[in-house]
Amino acid sequence: MLHIYDPNTATDRDLGTPPPAVSAGTVSLSIDGKPVQVPEGTSVLRAASLAGIQIPKLCASDNLEAFGSCRLCAVEIEGRRGLPASCTTPVAEGMSVNTQTDRVARLRRNVMELYISDHPLDCLTCSANGDCELQDMAGAVGLREVRYGYEGENHLDAEKDTSNPYFTFDPSKCIVCSRCVRACEEVQGTFALTIDGRGFESTVSAGQDEDFMDSECVSCGACVQACPTATLMENTVIEQGQPEHSVVTTCAYCGVGCSFKAEMKGNELVRMVPFKDGHANHGHSCVKGRFAFGYATHPDRLTAPMIRDHIDEPWREVSWDEALAFAADRIKTIQAKYGRDSVGGITSSRCTNEEAYLVQKLVRTAFGNNNTDTCARVCHSPTGYGLKQTLGESAGTQTFDSVMKSDVIVVIGANPTDAHPVFASQMRQRLRQGAKLIVADPRQIDLMTTPHGGEAIHLPLKPGTNVALINALAHVVVSEGLEDRLFIAQRCDSKEYAAWNTFIKEERNSPEATESITGVPAASVREAARLYATAGNGAIYYGLGVTEHSQGSTMVMGIANLALATGNIGREGVGVNPLRGQNNVQGSCDMGSFPHELPGYQHVSQEAPRKAFEAAWGVTIDSEPGLRIPNMFDAAIDGSFKGLYVQGEDIAQSDPNTQHVERALGSLECLIVQDLFLNETAKFAHVLLPGSSFLEKDGTFTNAERRINRVRKVMPALAGKEDWEITQDLANALGYDMHYEHPEQIMAEIASLTPSFKGVTYQKLDELGSIQWPCNDEHPNGTPIMHEEDFPIGKGRFVVTDYVPTTERANRKFPLLLTTGRILSQYNVGAQTRRTKNQTWHDQDIIELHPHDAEERGINEGDWVGLTSRAGDTVLQAKISTRMQPGVVYTTFHHPVSGANVITTDNSDWATNCPEYKVTAVQCEKVAQPSAWQERHRAQHKKQWGLLKPTEESAS
Amino acid sequence: MSRQIDTLIKMVNQIADNAPRQETPEATAEAVAGHLRKFWAKPMKVQVKAYLEAGGDGLNEVAVEAVRRL
Ligand code: SF4
Ligand code: SF4
Ligand code: SF4
Ligand code: FES
Repeated sequence: MLHIYDPNTATDRDLGTPPPAVSAGTVSLSIDGKPVQVPEGTSVLRAASLAGIQIPKLCASDNLEAFGSCRLCAVEIEGRRGLPASCTTPVAEGMSVNTQTDRVARLRRNVMELYISDHPLDCLTCSANGDCELQDMAGAVGLREVRYGYEGENHLDAEKDTSNPYFTFDPSKCIVCSRCVRACEEVQGTFALTIDGRGFESTVSAGQDEDFMDSECVSCGACVQACPTATLMENTVIEQGQPEHSVVTTCAYCGVGCSFKAEMKGNELVRMVPFKDGHANHGHSCVKGRFAFGYATHPDRLTAPMIRDHIDEPWREVSWDEALAFAADRIKTIQAKYGRDSVGGITSSRCTNEEAYLVQKLVRTAFGNNNTDTCARVCHSPTGYGLKQTLGESAGTQTFDSVMKSDVIVVIGANPTDAHPVFASQMRQRLRQGAKLIVADPRQIDLMTTPHGGEAIHLPLKPGTNVALINALAHVVVSEGLEDRLFIAQRCDSKEYAAWNTFIKEERNSPEATESITGVPAASVREAARLYATAGNGAIYYGLGVTEHSQGSTMVMGIANLALATGNIGREGVGVNPLRGQNNVQGSCDMGSFPHELPGYQHVSQEAPRKAFEAAWGVTIDSEPGLRIPNMFDAAIDGSFKGLYVQGEDIAQSDPNTQHVERALGSLECLIVQDLFLNETAKFAHVLLPGSSFLEKDGTFTNAERRINRVRKVMPALAGKEDWEITQDLANALGYDMHYEHPEQIMAEIASLTPSFKGVTYQKLDELGSIQWPCNDEHPNGTPIMHEEDFPIGKGRFVVTDYVPTTERANRKFPLLLTTGRILSQYNVGAQTRRTKNQTWHDQDIIELHPHDAEERGINEGDWVGLTSRAGDTVLQAKISTRMQPGVVYTTFHHPVSGANVITTDNSDWATNCPEYKVTAVQCEKVAQPSAWQERHRAQHKKQWGLLKPTEESAS
Repeated sequence: MSRQIDTLIKMVNQIADNAPRQETPEATAEAVAGHLRKFWAKPMKVQVKAYLEAGGDGLNEVAVEAVRRL
C-alpha cells in the first residue's frame, strides 16, 4: 500500500550541460583512466558526470547551454595545450581526459580565491547555508586561504531588491555566473535579465535601472532555481530556513500539470521546486505553482463541518458524523418527497481522479440517478464532443514535447503565456528555433511578441465568428489543392470526405466571402492556410476562445477537419491540442462526470459497460442521461430539482448569468458544499464540508496531454479528511457502502472498469513517473501520440460545419462585444490565488477598451466604467489598450465582486450547453459608483461572513 | 408556461440549426433526434414531446420532425 518515492533519482542530478540536440553516433574516450561511451556532441563535463566523476563547476547547469565563464571545470586533455573548460569542450573519439592533476587543482583554487575575495563570509547566517554551490565548490577544490584579502574593492554593500513578494535579490552575493540570465532566456523565454557593465563592474540587472517588480519579469522562479548562491533566494527559505525532506507531487493549478518537489520541514511547506524529471514541465514552473501555495494555510480555510437549516441562519459547527447525517437525512427526505431524480452532484476539476470518480459513483449509486456533471461543462465539454465525433476520442492527440518538432504552430482562442505558462515557454523555445506562428484571436496575445521568434500571422477575428474563419482556412486548402490526398484516402471515411469537400469548396466559405463576417483580411487567411498546409508539421493548439461559444462544438470539429485534410494527425509535431484550463479537467471528464457517460466515455445506453458497472457496484444504472448543470438550474427554478452536492467548485461565481444561478441555488432545499473556503456557492449552502488541499491528499491528476501524474500527500488534512474520504462517508451515511482505505484501491477499481485505464496502477506510476492514457495491453506504458495507425472509430470523420451566427449580436443598445479571459498571476475564480501574494500583480479585474471606443464615450484610463448587457450590469475600472480591434472590449473574471458573469448571458453551445462566455453584447459608459448588483453582493458577502464568524469564535 | 420549457424550445431549435447538415432534411432531423436521445435527460425529452403534442408553437421545422421521432 505505501509507496516511498525517492525524488533523488539519477535524473534529478545536475549533469552539467544538456544532452546533445541531435546525435549521430557514440564516442569512446577515457576519463581519469576510466573508459566512457557517450553520444557524439556530449560535453566532457557531462560525460564525466555520467561516468560518476564530478568535475567542479559553477556557471554550468544541465538545463542551460554551456557558457564557459567561470573556468572552474578546467581539465587536462592529453595532446592538447592549456586547460580547456570541460563544459564547452565536446568529447572526441579516443580522447584521454584527466580531471584531477596538480595543474587543474591550482587553477581551480585560484579561481575560487578570486570569487571568495569578493564574497561576504557570512556562510553561517546565509539563507543558502547547506544549499550553496559556491560553498560546495570551495570545499571541493580544497580552498584554504584567500591571498587577495578582502580589503580590495568589492560589492559587499550592494543594496537588496525586495520588490518581488516571493524572492529577494541580494547582489552582494552575486558571482556573475549569468546562470539567471540564461535561465530567463532559455528556460522561461522572457529575457528580463541582463549583465550590465564589464569586468569588475558587471552586475545582474532586471531591465534598465528597474527593480524586479517593474521589469518584464513574470516571477517564474527559473532564475532563483538556477542561482548557485544566495543571491536569488525564495523568501520562504530566508524566513523558514532550509527544508529537510521533499516529496514529488503535481501542481493543482492549470492543465499543464507540472511536477514539483514539495520541500518540507516537518509538516511545514518551505518551498515548491519544479521537478527536473517532471514529464510535463522538465524542471520549469510558473508563478502560480512555484510560489502561490500560501492559500493552503490561509486563515480563511474552513476547518470544521457546519450546518444550518436555512441560508439566513448562522452556521453551527458540528461533528463530521452530525454533518453527514444531517446531509444524508435531507437528501433522503427530498427524494422521498420529489422523486429520485430531484437531486444530483457536481464533481470538481480541481480534485483528483479518484475523488471525481467517487462523486459520480455516489450519484449513480447512493442517489440512484445520472444527475452528475462537472465544471468542465463550462469550459471544455465541446472538446469532448467534437473530438469524439471526428477522431473518436475525447482528448488532445499529442504530448507537450511534440511541439519541439512542429514547423508551424497555430494558436486559436488561447493565451498560453498567461493560462499555460510553462507550455508557453516550450512553445517560445520552438519559435526561437524558427517555427512559424499563426494566432487566431480577437486580441493580440503575448506569444506573438516572443523575443527572437519570427513574425507571427495574426488573424484578429470578431468574437463569435470562429467557424467562418476555420471554414475559410479549409476552403483555401481544398480549393488550392493543398490537401494531403494520401492521408485522406488511407485514413478517412471517403463518403463523408466527399460531402465535406463539396461543402467547403462553396464560394460562401472563401476568405473573400467571410471577410465581412470575421473582419479578417482575405489575404491573411490565404497566407495562413498555405503556411499551415505546406510548412511540414502543423500543430493546432486551442483554448476556451474556441469552446465557449454557441458554436463551440462545431468549431472543434472544424479544427479537426482542417487537421485531417492536411494530414496533420498521428505523428510528432502535429495534432489537435486543447489547452485545458484546470489541473484535472481532462481527468474529471475521463472519470465519468458527465450525465450521459460512465468513466472512460462509455455511454450509459451502451449495454456492456453499463452491465459491468452495475455488477461491480451492485446497483441498477439508468440507461438514460441525467441533467447537466444548466438543466439542473432550470429544474431547480421550476421546482423539480431540490438537492445538490458540490465538490470543490464555485458554480455561483464561475457559471454565466449569475442572477439566474443565484435564483436556482436559492431554491434548493439542500445544498451541500465541499470546499476549502466559504466561496460564493457556499453562501447558499445548508451543509459545509471542509475539503483538503492538494498537499493534503494522495491521488492522481490528468493533464491536457492525457498524462496521469501522482499527487502525494505531504501534510495531514487540515480538517481531518481527504476529499475522497468525505464522499465515501457521505455515501455510507446515505446507506450505500464504500470501504476504500487508500485512493490506490479506487484507481484499481477505475482500471478494472475503464478500458483506457486498464494498465494503470500506482506502482507503475511510481516506476514510470507518469502515464499517458490509453494505457492497456497494446500500450502497456501509455500512449504519447494518438491515432498513429488508425482512429478508435476506424476512419477519421469529416463533418460539415455550417457557420451559424450566434443570437448574441451587437446592436444600437449594446454596440460592443465583450470577451473574457485570464491573466498569469490569478487562477480562474481566484479562490486560491486571491489568498496569496499574487494579488500584488492583479488585485482587481479591469475592462480593456480600444482608444477609439473609449474616446467616443469620454472614458479615460482608470475611470469607472459601467458595463451593461441583456443579462445585467456591473462596474469595472478602465484600461485603454490597442490589443483588441475597435468594438471589442475585454475583461478577466478572477474577482467575485467584479461580477463579470452578471453580464454574461445564458446562451450556450448547441451540443453541450457550454456557456457562451466569449461573446456578450454590451454597452460601456462612465459612471461614479458601483452597480446595484455589486452593492448587493458586498452586503450579502458581509452578512454571510458574519454568519460564519460567530461560530468560529464560539468554537475557539 | 414554465421557464424550463422556454429553455428547452430554445435548445432544441438551436440544435436543429447547428447539427451537422446531412444529405436530406430527414437525415438531419434524425441526427437531431439522435442527439436528443444521446444527451438529454428523460424528463426533458418527455416535456418537449408533450409540448409538441400540445401544438409545438415556436419549434422550427427540423426540430418538430426531430421531436416527433423521439
Ligand atoms: S523570475 Fe523568471 S521571468 Fe523573472 S527574472 Fe527570473 S527567470 Fe526571468
Ligand atoms: S544572481 Fe546568481 S545566477 Fe545570477 S549571476 Fe549572480 S550568482 Fe549567478
Ligand atoms: S504552468 Fe500550470 S501546472 Fe505548471 S506551475 Fe504553472 S499553474 Fe502549475
Ligand atoms: S562550469 Fe565550465 S566554465 Fe563554468
